[in-house]
Amino acid sequence: MLLLGITLVVVIALAVSFGATPVSWSALFGDDASARAILLRIRIPRVLVGALVGATLAVAGLTFQTLLRNPLADPFILGVSGGAAAGAAISTAFGLARFPGVVPALAFLGACAATASVFLLARRRDHTDPTRLLLSGLVLNAFFSAVILICFSLSRQSDLTAALRWMMGTLFGATWSEVVLVGVFLFVAMGVLVWLANDLRMIAFGEEDARSHGVDVERVKLIGFIAASLITGAAVAVSGIIGFVGLLVPQLIRMVWRRDFRFLLPLTAVGGAILVVLADLVSRAVIPAAELPIGAFTALLGVPFFLSVLRRSR
Amino acid sequence: MLSVREAGYSYGGALGIAAVTFEAQPGELIALTGSNGSGKSTFLKLAARVLSPTSGDVFFENRSLRDWRPKEYARNVAYLPQEPDTTFAMRAIDVVVSGRAPYLTRFGWEGSSDYAAAAEALEMCDAGHLSDRFLDEMSGGERKRIFLARALVRRPQLVLLDEPLASLDLAHVQHFSTLMRQVVERTRATVIFAAHDLNWAAAYSDRVLVMKNGALAADLNPSELMQPDRIRELFDVEAATVMVNGKSWLVPL
Repeated sequence: MLLLGITLVVVIALAVSFGATPVSWSALFGDDASARAILLRIRIPRVLVGALVGATLAVAGLTFQTLLRNPLADPFILGVSGGAAAGAAISTAFGLARFPGVVPALAFLGACAATASVFLLARRRDHTDPTRLLLSGLVLNAFFSAVILICFSLSRQSDLTAALRWMMGTLFGATWSEVVLVGVFLFVAMGVLVWLANDLRMIAFGEEDARSHGVDVERVKLIGFIAASLITGAAVAVSGIIGFVGLLVPQLIRMVWRRDFRFLLPLTAVGGAILVVLADLVSRAVIPAAELPIGAFTALLGVPFFLSVLRRSR
Repeated sequence: MLSVREAGYSYGGALGIAAVTFEAQPGELIALTGSNGSGKSTFLKLAARVLSPTSGDVFFENRSLRDWRPKEYARNVAYLPQEPDTTFAMRAIDVVVSGRAPYLTRFGWEGSSDYAAAAEALEMCDAGHLSDRFLDEMSGGERKRIFLARALVRRPQLVLLDEPLASLDLAHVQHFSTLMRQVVERTRATVIFAAHDLNWAAAYSDRVLVMKNGALAADLNPSELMQPDRIRELFDVEAATVMVNGKSWLVPL
């Protein structure tokens, strides 16, 4: 934990000082107003949004994996991100994307709608079946892809570029209000998950087993699912679709520390933050002045690391 | 202590068990047998409060299970499912100590006394040497012993075990059967275990319940059960019995 924390601080420090215009941390206290402005208005919010979004997506992934007892579950497979993307695509098709705040708002609504429909589809009488939940997510994803394709073919060329950039995930233009937005969501969700941690840890052994240990399984599933979906919605709304974090980070953490949910929760949050800040740093560094999609770099960085850990673990 | 009154459960139309009535006293070692799909697991789940009966009622210490607070009930009653989920494999000691969960407060963590209890339970199940191993490095029988230890670590008054003997080797079937007897004698707990093998069920219990098509077809002591006529009537199997060391053993013909 300590090691991960130190890594996060180092990565954040590097990411803040690196950019098209190199600015050192000391500019914060120097006389150079423009350097200070770059730090305060651009770099620091961007890196912080990256860290928060990474932590959020990773924590959402861990929660979904634990609730469904399926290491392949993540916000994408369950259709939550797909719903958000469809919401953004609809706003683009209707030419609303130019108004500030509309894309994130509709993306957030899309994520909520996706969650509600996946959960309702999977519900049978008083019980939510994990396999049906995953299947419903897969089917909804196909539906959302269709919606996105239709919306894009109806969109104006000029709107389309922005929409595509959003779909590939970007931290460009991150603001302090976004830091606050994702921060508040993450803070509240972490509170809820810590509150449920002992129960979630038991659900990992199976639902009937958890019930025989006195856990109110259906209630924990409902609250956990809503919390993980809402933070996914918030993260996707500010940063677009950044893939692999929700799937990769919890898996990776679990390969190194094979412990229960209560240990994994903070580790996963920090791990997700590191991956996204690092991916953003690399995406800015590869070709100066060009912004490459961050979602590609979370995968490019994460996958080799993942594979090497996979080979070493039994 | 456990009183099942006309309890029934149906899985959305499909029958699990119907109108089962049964009473268990403290310190009894009870085997639950019956063919596949006869309702053994459903019976145990109703008693474990994992399922709520769709008709009738189940009482523990003269209180309906509906009136027990879930954690409070879990402190008194342990349940071992047929196949515990091992998707996320952890260290044996961490698995066993999670059996103390009903004693934890919402934000509480296990203390050293919980770990001591877990180590003791592992020792009891002849699995002390597996303490630091991970579940996915173990055989099915070893895993079973870990989960048995996890069920016993709560020090429950009622222990419900679904097929505890399945996938154990012969030596451990015997060890485990002796262990169940010890648990009953030492703590006056009641143990109800589901088992397929009639010979083991009869040899290591005081009382045998036989389920048939969701109903309780027989409630006998082992020597009454091990009669060729009874076996034919309850299981549609032709069998003879032989006496070894004063116990009847069944030989299918």
